[in-house]
Amino acid sequence: MKARAMGIAIALALITVAAGGAAPALDRYDATYVAEGASLRYFYTPDTTDQRVAANTQDGLVEQDRYGKFVPSLAESWKASADSSEWTFSLRKGIMWVDSKGQKTAYEITADDFVNGFRYVADPKSGIKNLSKDIRKLIVGLNNYYLDLVDIDSGKKKDLGRDQALAAFDSSVGIKALDRYTVTYKLTKPTPFFLSFLVMELFLPVEQDFLASVGQDFGVAKEKILYSGAYYIADWQRDKQIVLKANPAYWDAKSITVKTVNLQKVVNADVQIQMFQRGELSSASLSADQVKALGKTKWASYIYPAEPSTVTYWFDINFTSANPEFKAFANNLNFRKALYYGIDRAKLNELDDPYQPANILRNTVIPEQTVFDEKGKDYSDYPGVKEIRASGNHYDLKKARDYLSKAIADLTDGKGGIKGVSAATVDFKPIAQFQVDGKLPLQILYVHFTDATDTKRALLLKAMIESTFGKENVVVELGQVIDDMFAEAVEPRRFDIINDNFRFGFADPSAQLGRLITDGGINDGMYSDPEFDKLVADATAKTTLSERYAIFAKAEALFLDRCYVLPWKMGGGAYTISKVLPFTYPRGGFGITRFKYKGMIVEKDPITAARYLQLKTAFYKELTALTGK
Amino acid sequence: MGPYVLRRLGQSLFTVVIVVVSVFMLLRLMPSSGYFTREDYVNMDATARTAYLRNMGVLDNPAIQFGHFISGLAKADLGRSIAIYPRTPVLTILAEKAPYSLWFGLAALVISMGLGLGLGVLMARQKDKVADGIGTVYVTIVRAIPSLIWLFLIQQWVTGLLGWPMVFYGDRPVSWILPTASLSLSGIAWYAIWLRRFMVDEENRDYVRFATSKGLPRRRVMTGHVLRNALVPLVQYFPQQVLLTIAGSLLIESIYSIPGMGGLLVNAIRQQDNPIVQALVLLYSVLGIAGVFLGDILMMLVDPRIKLEGSGGAKAGKA
Repeated sequence: MKARAMGIAIALALITVAAGGAAPALDRYDATYVAEGASLRYFYTPDTTDQRVAANTQDGLVEQDRYGKFVPSLAESWKASADSSEWTFSLRKGIMWVDSKGQKTAYEITADDFVNGFRYVADPKSGIKNLSKDIRKLIVGLNNYYLDLVDIDSGKKKDLGRDQALAAFDSSVGIKALDRYTVTYKLTKPTPFFLSFLVMELFLPVEQDFLASVGQDFGVAKEKILYSGAYYIADWQRDKQIVLKANPAYWDAKSITVKTVNLQKVVNADVQIQMFQRGELSSASLSADQVKALGKTKWASYIYPAEPSTVTYWFDINFTSANPEFKAFANNLNFRKALYYGIDRAKLNELDDPYQPANILRNTVIPEQTVFDEKGKDYSDYPGVKEIRASGNHYDLKKARDYLSKAIADLTDGKGGIKGVSAATVDFKPIAQFQVDGKLPLQILYVHFTDATDTKRALLLKAMIESTFGKENVVVELGQVIDDMFAEAVEPRRFDIINDNFRFGFADPSAQLGRLITDGGINDGMYSDPEFDKLVADATAKTTLSERYAIFAKAEALFLDRCYVLPWKMGGGAYTISKVLPFTYPRGGFGITRFKYKGMIVEKDPITAARYLQLKTAFYKELTALTGK
Repeated sequence: MGPYVLRRLGQSLFTVVIVVVSVFMLLRLMPSSGYFTREDYVNMDATARTAYLRNMGVLDNPAIQFGHFISGLAKADLGRSIAIYPRTPVLTILAEKAPYSLWFGLAALVISMGLGLGLGVLMARQKDKVADGIGTVYVTIVRAIPSLIWLFLIQQWVTGLLGWPMVFYGDRPVSWILPTASLSLSGIAWYAIWLRRFMVDEENRDYVRFATSKGLPRRRVMTGHVLRNALVPLVQYFPQQVLLTIAGSLLIESIYSIPGMGGLLVNAIRQQDNPIVQALVLLYSVLGIAGVFLGDILMMLVDPRIKLEGSGGAKAGKA
């Protein structure tokens, strides 16, 4: 009997271990946000607060599951034409919009709601800023429809009335409701990765009668929108808090474990850890300094790295700088290679992750484990980028100095004078103003933000470059911007080198590489390389993903080899302490559905770092099996 | 009194108009790039940006825009936010935020006056004694150390010590205490040090010596004469302090996550949210001018010797 009891106890213990020591789940999730959402108009979500709210209160046609795979949402199935240029979605039937009290309305979610969503987005008067030219040109007829309205509004087009132009949406734009539950999208070109567009906020539905009834007030209060997602907004106090409650009429209610989400605004994310320790929050992000401070406390065993994001940080080099010394060097490949090898990126990363700085290195523009071909192969495993990705921290003092010597030989007259450059005043006011003498040392202006971490990084980078190359060769000046790098430095061209990063838009390398071509939207350095442009164009023309990605990989390898930008870090690489069971909620590298709380399990006690590692190992094993690697 | 009030009202109206027109026109001189973020520039081409600006109305002639603003004002319509809370009526934003700043501000003002005036009287009566020394140390600390430091320390230590929430919650009254106390600390010091100074000044005047030599009890001299006269320069600021509580406190509202008016103007200027800036400038200038005007009236009521007419208006105190 005793032996039997002991056997049962051991079995229970093993089950507990196998389940990762699961603790009871809570039905409430408490978190903070720093940036206030602009509004509840969910078609335009400029920051993560808006995105979190939109993702959890509205559903689109598809969403991403916890592996990042596209799965049905309000559409229960879909099919694409053979060339992927026409996509048809069949909607679930009987799903109703709910109001801000969680009550079902009289409105059913139908195909028309998706058509009307885009009708709203495509009207310039709606002021939806994220309707990019690329998307306008992706859907048949959309760009012309939009431009007609713009011309009518500006008075340039007088032969067509606004109402007439609006009425032309149904006949001219390639988004149509074939019947009450079928919506189709006709695209201007084969787009096998179109599903990744559908997780963007632009493709969400809206109920037309409700929209007409609220007019300009759409999204200015929680009562002024309807809800199609897992939660409705039960309380929304501007600049204070957002409370989400589970939608009782939700089509997938069984997946909603957390019934109440309480988001509390704080002005400084650093208070999160104290709030977490006092039981006010379910999770907290930690800075490097906080991780160090907690190193010898009981909390240390609960700290683990946050999951990296698909955002890549890179250094932009100004090829058209008003600093004549830097302009001469920036356009020299040997100098750019000297920087490539001369910046110790792992050292820079210690400011964010003092313990495992190499873990947040990223050498490529396109993030890993985000874009997969038709066979499930990760784009970052394609030849060209795979080698660069594997090269780790390519800091190499000897190579850096050798390349700088070559650059100096190319660009100077042997006596330290820079060819074609004479003394001048470099006017980067109000950021900086300095004299250059047209001789070595080369003067570089690095522009950074004034917060503590970015200032430390700037000082470290300055020390690193000057010690690597010698102050007799290179001197780094520092300039600061207050809160908008683009408006203060990039747009007025007041920089030599800056640190930059961009959201990854959709599941294709063109999301970034397509914008990094000559005159591309994020080509902040203003370089030009016809060979790279052609490779991107060639890749874009291919519709078979494996063929497409092979050429994109060549393009990216060439781009990185020529050092037009210098990638150095992945986003999201801070530390966390949390009661949320990792890998239980949606995942993805783009769009908003990755912000859903669907499936999230919140435990009573914080997750230990050891348990996180177990869960991570198991998760990535499953993910690898799924993606066929 | 009547002509004086009319003249002051006319001057006040003129000042408000000058301030509002100046700010309105200055906003129109700001670069249009301020209406867009980096992400906007990535997403929007020049056509889309121009269309966006046109639909916001910022490409219209400034005189026409000003006409819209004035006609809106006549209908009590301050317009809609264009950047911080896009499309939300400005009046709705103010109606949501102002009560937080008002209630916290008024509560803090009452505490500041109650404790500050009490401390000031005590310090004056106990001049150069222990109570005066302790009060002076308090005032020196509050005024010499940057408020950011002690405000953060109070939030970190006191909430940790007492187990109170770190931020404000509308449904947890205990979380209202520290923001109110923090708001009061500098007010207490301000009232205490100025009242002490004015009372000490008054104590040295001939009429006080005369009253004391006539045998009036010290308590009566202090309360009936010294305190009453010492309060005259302070009451001038009282209406302004009450009215401008609506502006909130950027620092304390930020630290305790109070969704009040503090910081709204700064954010609106940074994000070029013209309708909010215009509304706040109008509101604050009207309240500021009204505060000065009411202060003069109040001072005259407290001290009938002060005449507002015929001598260039009331003489301001030094506080």
